[in-house]
Amino acid sequence: MNQSITSKQQFLAQIISRRYCLSAVCLFALQSVVALMGALDLVISDLPSPIPFEYGRAIHLGLADFWPLIGTMGMVYFFMTAELNREIHSPRLARWQYWVVMLFTLSIFGTLALRLGNGREFLEGKPIFYLGICLALTLASYNLIRTLLTDRQNITPAAATMTVGMIFLLLLLLPNTITFNNPIVDEATKFWVVHLWEEMAFELTSVGFIATFFIVSGLANRTQIEKWLYLEASLAIIGGLYGTGHHYYWIGFPAIWLILGSLVSLVEVIPVGMLVHMTYKGLKSKEIHNRREKLTLWLLLSSVFYHVTGASLLGLFLTIPWVNLYMHGTYFTSGHAHLALFGSLGFVVLAGCYYVLSQGSEPTLQEYKGGVLAVIILNIGLIIMSSALLAAGLKETYLWRILGMDFMDAHLLLNPYLILRVLGGTMFTLGDLLLSWYIFKAWRETNL
Amino acid sequence: MISAKLPSSIPEQAVAGKLIWQKNNCVSCHTLFGHGGYEADDLTHITDAETTEYLIDFLVEAPVMRPHKYARHPALDQIDAENLVNYLEFLNTIPTLGWPPQQEQVEDDS
Ligand code: HEM
Ligand code: HEM
Repeated sequence: MNQSITSKQQFLAQIISRRYCLSAVCLFALQSVVALMGALDLVISDLPSPIPFEYGRAIHLGLADFWPLIGTMGMVYFFMTAELNREIHSPRLARWQYWVVMLFTLSIFGTLALRLGNGREFLEGKPIFYLGICLALTLASYNLIRTLLTDRQNITPAAATMTVGMIFLLLLLLPNTITFNNPIVDEATKFWVVHLWEEMAFELTSVGFIATFFIVSGLANRTQIEKWLYLEASLAIIGGLYGTGHHYYWIGFPAIWLILGSLVSLVEVIPVGMLVHMTYKGLKSKEIHNRREKLTLWLLLSSVFYHVTGASLLGLFLTIPWVNLYMHGTYFTSGHAHLALFGSLGFVVLAGCYYVLSQGSEPTLQEYKGGVLAVIILNIGLIIMSSALLAAGLKETYLWRILGMDFMDAHLLLNPYLILRVLGGTMFTLGDLLLSWYIFKAWRETNL
Repeated sequence: MISAKLPSSIPEQAVAGKLIWQKNNCVSCHTLFGHGGYEADDLTHITDAETTEYLIDFLVEAPVMRPHKYARHPALDQIDAENLVNYLEFLNTIPTLGWPPQQEQVEDDS
């Protein structure tokens, strides 16, 4: 049961998961190019562009949610079979699901490029397409539940956690396919995706992936990991759910959410601590890894780093109501968003995708070094870009919110930081393309 | 726990304005309740600071945007602009618990 996966691909699900992961990596490469154009547009006056800034931004935000989603779908199939050591319920359904999710994701980006959208931040596409994504998530949830139920005696915590995460992705997106007249309800529901996808549902799928990765690669033993997993998952759900309150401070909700949001956000941080503990245990227990596992670990450790810093510590700081009162809606939020969304979620999905796509091969020393270099460039780019945004946010808070300067006057003074952001973004893009290239190579080598 | 009650029911014209807001993707640059893009001012309480006529004129005869020399603000036709401003007036009635800070001074400046 607990043997590591052999280099031969045993399960259809693992072969199918490769197309999800490859698509995710391609969309990630596309994202940073689109984003760089947007960032340039903000610092160069009258820059001609086929897609106006507001739709470019919409595509960028859509990509930020959907490549991790597509990658996660692949990873969950791969690691479910690795964890349970048996085939998923229906490989056929998994193939269909791939086409459904790709069709609707690309439809969202295509229509946004034609300036057709629904103008809700992070969910800018037409509602009908999100219904399509829900369909894909329904197929995934159904397939995973059936997989678990075929052998009820052998439901492991990691497999259950990943399944619950996938179901939550569906349940949270579903209400967002409705158009609300009430702007308060509209805002509140939006954060079920903006906040709860990232800080609850993806948290569950990622934790399940990390646990399985440690177990199947022999980095940690099963009992050690499973001891904590259910507790960690429950805390992530409770903390995530009520932590949504930190987005509900000023949108017309009663003041109770100021207290609820800030206090429960503290709970959100506990599972992160447990995750770090789990990772540390895994690393300490075994010395020798092969290069493929080492490169996966580089990506994974990057994720853990931003999970603690950019997501939890910065997030907690922003959650303090007195801080949020002044910093809310400034570039500071954008700094946190990049560090948290790419830093913690993006890196973990890349780790999974790399591992899935390199299954059955081992990078040469040169390839390994190139991969590590790409990860380092990505990290430096991200840190420069986000620090520039955080600094811009501090200045903006001071000028606009504390001194009460006119918004545009204050904004014009932020240009140096936005230029620095472009430089960081350029580095990030280079790292992105380099890493995608190495992952692509690994895919080609193992594509029989 | 979720009590998203509006201070008063939303008028039909404001609903139409909300759809115009969405159709033109205004949120990519502006914020409402502090949520949205970072390129332009928050509009939750803009009708405190500017008159209805000024706002409608601004949207219909869209000006060149600083620091650009040519690029203009996206424009709307008269009816859309009226509906949109009606929506903004409605948003202004939603209590936001003292956010944003320093609103008084912003008003004095303008
Ligand atoms: C993986 C973890 C996380 C991700 C991916 C993430 C992502 C984001 C994103 C994308 C936004 C921007 C939302 C917007 O523009 O409206 C945001 C805002 C925010 N996040 Fe996080 N976040 C994470 C963790 C946390 C944690 C752990 C906390 C607190 C304990 C937190 C507190 C906040 C707060 C208070 C805001 C609102 C800032 C404002 O008012 O402008 N975040 N987060
Ligand atoms: C080359 C790298 C990148 C550059 C240059 C870049 C640039 C930008 C720009 C210009 C915006 C619009 C901000 C505004 O409205 O003023 C933005 C927003 C955003 N980006 Fe990126 N981005 C990059 C990578 C990423 C990645 C990899 C992710 C996540 C996977 C991401 C997630 C986001 C999010 C969530 C927002 C919305 C922030 C908020 O509302 O607080 N970005 N980015």
